[in-house]
Amino acid sequence: MIPDTSEELHILAGEYVLGVLEPGAAREVEAALPHHAELRRAVAFWQERLQPLAMLAPPAEPPPGLWQRIESALAPGAAPARPAGLWQSLALWRAATAAAAAVAAGLALYVALAPAAGPAYVAVLHAPQQVQPAFVATGSSGGLLLRAVAEAQPPGDRGFELWAIPPDAKPKPLGVIPPTGRIELGASPLALGAGTTLAISIEPKGGSPTGQPTGPVVFVGTLLPAK
Amino acid sequence: MVMRVVASLIDRARARAAPVDKEARSMHGVAQPRRVMDQKLAALASLDALLLAVQRGSRAALERLYELESRRLYGIALRITRRPDLAADALQDAFVQVWQNAASFAPERGNAAAWLTGILRFRALDLVRKLGRETPSDDPALGDRADEPDMAAAIDLRLAASALRRCLEALEEKQRRCIILAFVDGLSHAEIAARLPAPLGSVKSWVRRGLLSLRSCLES
Repeated sequence: MIPDTSEELHILAGEYVLGVLEPGAAREVEAALPHHAELRRAVAFWQERLQPLAMLAPPAEPPPGLWQRIESALAPGAAPARPAGLWQSLALWRAATAAAAAVAAGLALYVALAPAAGPAYVAVLHAPQQVQPAFVATGSSGGLLLRAVAEAQPPGDRGFELWAIPPDAKPKPLGVIPPTGRIELGASPLALGAGTTLAISIEPKGGSPTGQPTGPVVFVGTLLPAK
Repeated sequence: MVMRVVASLIDRARARAAPVDKEARSMHGVAQPRRVMDQKLAALASLDALLLAVQRGSRAALERLYELESRRLYGIALRITRRPDLAADALQDAFVQVWQNAASFAPERGNAAAWLTGILRFRALDLVRKLGRETPSDDPALGDRADEPDMAAAIDLRLAASALRRCLEALEEKQRRCIILAFVDGLSHAEIAARLPAPLGSVKSWVRRGLLSLRSCLES
């Protein structure tokens, strides 16, 4: 239970940062962090304010060769994986996808839009730290069409799942993407509009068991109004 | 702002050097120009800028971060785990996690040193709770109970005239000891109770009340 009162919330956050919570309670705090801004602020407060106390532990020389161990524990040549608390970094992706805005605007001229009912939108989905498009989505309030524009397959026993993330809201599942890389959705119950982020995560075949993304987000893009 | 500029400098340098790097990677043992370029820039950067560069996939920035922070972080891990092997594992886990989770660092939400300390402490606490802490030895290098009476002096020396020091001093002695034993030594409620010694319930409430007073003092 994450408490409602600010006082209790700060005590809980303080106990979490001190590391005195029972494992179950600590996990509960971790699970709540991505959705609970005040809890996040409280944890950041303690992390920041108690930090000077860490100086009471005198620095010491780590064993030689530790950096080599760390380096070999990182996948060779790999870019950083997406963070576990990945929904926290949404702001970062949104910034990253801004770079793809120009590409999206250009593509909109060439991509046949789904039959227009209301304003039309387009999104180019790409890997979070890259600009090459992997999927293109076009849509309107009448539906959404997503197509692969590059070879992208999930690992063997897994599938791609498409999510809509309205500004300041939790991800909503749109569906599992078939191996063809093409998915067409009818009139969406969501108000898909400019600023909605589309994301594709790797999930068990059949989709996320929790209704929220459980695997890494591999492609992301933001819907923009098409001219 | 400055750190963003530095991070983007690193990126631009990488972009320029990328084609060369591809070639270099295919030839084993040949110096990698991108690495050299990265390292020059990484040597200049602040912790914040380095973490932002790690977010963009710069290994050189991660390596520089290790050079700058590993002694401090290893010291913290050693204090918590009291075992060099576990402290090394904690440091390794922490750096792998920094690489994987760099994206969750946001400079506007907190400083890089505190973020790194948080990751390292949780890794060290995880290991120590899973594998158990060795019975305290008498080795003073491992920061055993022998140095505890000097805690006040240590606070004096190391925290200088900070708000945290003033607020810690304003706490009741028992509350202060509980918070320091938890944060610095990584002790659980039960371990603090055994160390003081004091009833478990009292320790829990000293920690709570200590946090409450500390917060109102720090925010005033």
